[in-house]
Amino acid sequence: MKLGTEQSGLLGRVRNLAARRTEGRGLILLALVIIVVAILEPTAFTAYSVTLGRVALIGLVALGLTAVILMGELDLSVASTLAVSGVIMASIPDLGLGIVVALAAGILIGIVNAVFVVYVGINSFIATLGMLFALRGLAFVISDEKPVRLSNIDAGIAFGAPLIGPVTPRVLIFIVAFIALQVFLTRVRAGREFYAVGGNRQAAFDAGIPVRRRIFTGFMISGFVAALAGVINTLERTAADPTAGSSVLLASFAAAIIGGVVLTGGRGSVVGTLIGALSLGILQVALTLSGVQTDIQDIFIGSILLIAVITDPTQLRAAAASVRSFFQRREKAQIPT
Amino acid sequence: MADQTTTAAVPPRAASDEPGLAKGRFSLLVWMSERGVFLFTALLVVVAVVFVNGFASLANITDVFYRAAPIGIVAVGMTFVVISANYLDLSVVAQVATASVILVGVSNTAGFPAAIGLALVVALLYGVVNGLAVGVFKANAVIVTLSTTFIGLGILRWLSGGSIFFGPEDGPIRAFGQAKLGPIPLSALVLLVITAVLWFVLTRTNFGFLIRSFGSNKAATRLAGVNTALVVVGAFVITSLAAMLAGFVLAAFSNTAVSTMSDGYDFSALAAIIIGGTSVFGGKGSVLRTLLGVIFVSVLTNILVLLGIGFGLQQVAIGALIVLAVSVDALARRVGKK
Amino acid sequence: MKPDMPLPVLEASSIVKRFGGAVAVDDVSIAVSAGEIHAVVGENGAGKSTLMRVLAGILTADQGTVKVGGELLEGGAKGSLEAGIALVHQELSLIPEMTVAENIMLGSTPTSYGFIRTRQLKAAAAEALDEIGVSVDLNESVARLSVALRQFVEIARAVARKPRVLILDEPTATLTPAETDHLLAMLQRLANRGMAIIYISHRIPEVFTICTTITVLRDGKVVDSTPLVETTPSAVIDKMVGRELSLDLSSRRVATPGALVLSARGIRAHNVNGVDLDVRSGEIIGLGGLVGAGRTELVRAIVGADPRYGGTVTLWVDGHPRNITSYQPAVRAGIGYVPEERRTDGLALTMSVSDNIALPNRRELSSAGVILAGKTARFASNLADAVGLRPPVITRDVGEYSGGNQQKVVIAKWLGRKPRFIVLDEPTRGVDVGAKAEIHRIVRELADNGAAVLVVSSDLPELLELSDVIHVVRDGRITGTLSAADANEKSVMSLASGENLVGA
Repeated sequence: MKLGTEQSGLLGRVRNLAARRTEGRGLILLALVIIVVAILEPTAFTAYSVTLGRVALIGLVALGLTAVILMGELDLSVASTLAVSGVIMASIPDLGLGIVVALAAGILIGIVNAVFVVYVGINSFIATLGMLFALRGLAFVISDEKPVRLSNIDAGIAFGAPLIGPVTPRVLIFIVAFIALQVFLTRVRAGREFYAVGGNRQAAFDAGIPVRRRIFTGFMISGFVAALAGVINTLERTAADPTAGSSVLLASFAAAIIGGVVLTGGRGSVVGTLIGALSLGILQVALTLSGVQTDIQDIFIGSILLIAVITDPTQLRAAAASVRSFFQRREKAQIPT
Repeated sequence: MADQTTTAAVPPRAASDEPGLAKGRFSLLVWMSERGVFLFTALLVVVAVVFVNGFASLANITDVFYRAAPIGIVAVGMTFVVISANYLDLSVVAQVATASVILVGVSNTAGFPAAIGLALVVALLYGVVNGLAVGVFKANAVIVTLSTTFIGLGILRWLSGGSIFFGPEDGPIRAFGQAKLGPIPLSALVLLVITAVLWFVLTRTNFGFLIRSFGSNKAATRLAGVNTALVVVGAFVITSLAAMLAGFVLAAFSNTAVSTMSDGYDFSALAAIIIGGTSVFGGKGSVLRTLLGVIFVSVLTNILVLLGIGFGLQQVAIGALIVLAVSVDALARRVGKK
Repeated sequence: MKPDMPLPVLEASSIVKRFGGAVAVDDVSIAVSAGEIHAVVGENGAGKSTLMRVLAGILTADQGTVKVGGELLEGGAKGSLEAGIALVHQELSLIPEMTVAENIMLGSTPTSYGFIRTRQLKAAAAEALDEIGVSVDLNESVARLSVALRQFVEIARAVARKPRVLILDEPTATLTPAETDHLLAMLQRLANRGMAIIYISHRIPEVFTICTTITVLRDGKVVDSTPLVETTPSAVIDKMVGRELSLDLSSRRVATPGALVLSARGIRAHNVNGVDLDVRSGEIIGLGGLVGAGRTELVRAIVGADPRYGGTVTLWVDGHPRNITSYQPAVRAGIGYVPEERRTDGLALTMSVSDNIALPNRRELSSAGVILAGKTARFASNLADAVGLRPPVITRDVGEYSGGNQQKVVIAKWLGRKPRFIVLDEPTRGVDVGAKAEIHRIVRELADNGAAVLVVSSDLPELLELSDVIHVVRDGRITGTLSAADANEKSVMSLASGENLVGA
């Protein structure tokens, strides 16, 4: 006897795919954004160098976060990592050395986060929140609470210039990082096992996967990517701002979560994160071009994140049950005597 | 969902089955995580009085009180959210600033009662939105309140245009801000009263009991027939009301209000709560110890300022303290489980 | 061991494993040879799964050694895998987001320079699937497979490691008869090729179809280990339950069922496929069955703790029928529920005994929302005395008490509500003998005072002693009903395992 996959027809397959994939909300948002922007502010598409730059800015940090969230952990410290690495880089006169030290600092921060999560046993939300605050302070200490100017301004200006067409080095780095992470999470064993660690940690451990090492890798990736974003920002602006990063935190979380990376781990993809970053980037540029001030942009992106996090596909069912019990009819509620 | 705190894949342990009580274990770590704040605060104050020039002056002490009051009010309120095992409410930053701006800005144009009414409505809105998202939709509290922070601050800056509002020189706000009882400003007394009220709510009422019970074990609380969504909403509403009062006190202190005036309150309040020994794992904690945590953080900040240490290093020091306190708590729990 | 048997591949000697004070595996020795299918049977909680986790290196034995091919086993789960022991877990351990091929090769993914060698991965996965005779699309995500197919993928993962010893823990629990036959035939093939197989099952007929040797565990000890030809199904069941005439039924009450209190019709829920159930005042209904049969899911669906897919539950409150749709109103209407997992679902361990008892009774113990401390203390201490908490210190954290005392606290908090209908799921699991007797006394008193009681228990003697009527649940359905007079361990076991061994 042979046992086989149950056949469910094309329609069933599509329906199943739709139920399993988590990128749906991201695609809906992207479609909405594209339609609305195409009608109201089409210049956002013609000014694609600006738009691409914005997508890269949001997307890069979100890519690193994706690696961590896939394992069911969270890295809130990315915002400060970005600020600290930028400040470190700008404080070192030699550009090359500065970049290397800044990136190393990002990896180191990832390691420290992982130590607290893996060996001390602190929930990653709280551990990285503490790091977020402490590193923000560190950025102030190193920078003496002022923006630090890059000593090699020419390099910065050169960095900001487009290479080919609209593609600036920032966009190129983002594309390379996206491809690298996509390959890592789909083709490299260690990356693929992130899904196992996030999906069923006990099973991953039983199958002989080095769970702790994977968690270390994830935090190191997110630290490194955040530092990379800090380095790029510093180069483009020819100065490092110790207060940088707080709005990046919001946008990058929004990109990953709307892109379908499930906070409990095990589900999601960098493609989804890219979709999320694309929709948020286009939206932001369109809003800016239509003269909407940044405060209102924050309201938009904050609302998108709020909606994304409460419509998490895995939680909708739980929410439905909660709503039912929340609005229980009261006549049933009396204590019988 | 986010209860996946254990990282190492530890096989489940069965219950201990000896009859009677399991052996009582005394652990320094456990003691430090729960009661350490009494000793450390006392030590810190003694050190400050003896070694730090300028600490023991009347003017300085009054200043410490002034700065501690709004942070303290936020912290004792937010203790409810932390005890209910929902990490924290980051949006207090936006809430405090909003309440300040409404109090000063709206009372200038529409009068004092309208300002208070509006502030109250806004506070309830914050509490209910955060509470529903976390309690009903089971979303992660950190992410939810991160997004409401940005929404709230965005709205505030948009509507206020980011400008600074000044209260009238002879208004009730000014009068309240200047009032003192000896060296103790009225705002510090407000903190004490709120602490007392919230202590009563947490320890003596059904609602407080459910907050603690829910934080200790969500499933068991639900299975006792409790409407847990209401408990979570309640915790966030309490935090919001406290943040509103903190905003009033903060605005009264300087008789001005601006959208950036409460930056860092999330951080300071969390530091006070955690150093006070309230566990981020939920269930355990006390409003009174949060008050001590507030004193600890305020005195420490004051000492650092008096010693001429910059804002950055202060942040690093307190950030390190948070991580240390949480680590001690986490390790103590591990010891307790063995 | 008999002299004509070949040298064992796996040899475990004098394994002891304790959890806290309880001994889960007590001085067990077991040896398996190449080509042998060795059955390990026993009641729920006999220590089978714990023993297998020790063999697979997931748990470390407190005493004793495990040898594979003469070499001492070391290095935890990883060491065991490398030594050639593969365990198919009872609970599924697949990663839903990954494909079938990836799941099969999880932990042994072929790589070059860290990159997955996809072609090799699929070839190896296909080979493993071929070995067990199952065809599944290798690129299909596991989340789309049926439960049965997932079980086969799980087995394929174990087989892909080309183990010397293959351990299967209740592999047929979720399979249909046809699928079960397929699995058994496949195991036979693997054994013929020289693999040593340990086969854990409740289902005695399966064991007798394929196994060569049988080891019976009871209360963590080996009670019998013999070639299968030398025993019979009936004898095995006797040894599993063991207490043939030791059962003390003298404590059985004479039940005087009163009015109908709860009636459930057509209950369907996760793992529950249409159950009707009536419970009367003063009556204790027992639910027997194997682990995974759907008993816990059934009672949770009845009280409303988990969502129902279909069916109605009616509770009679002073003669008025009331529909029970969700949990909170159920509790307010007088339903009590003592959950299976007291530490995760039953108690707030970091809170005091008094707090835990007060939790469902808080409305009665407060005035205008303010807790009446004196009344609460008296209430809690009365109940602590009533359930025999020792020591009766209501201010201590529940977490400091032993399992038996903790369970008494869970029961005490519901006693305080004077429930019309109460469900107790595994009320005495992990509880010492003294506490067990007291809990039994409390349950009987509850019924004597007019409550309708539903008890889920995997402890057969307990079920027989307590229940007036026993419903046996299998595959989410009630497959048999026995009155107190007709029930014995054998009849319950037969219904539970699906093999009619008695009478017929």
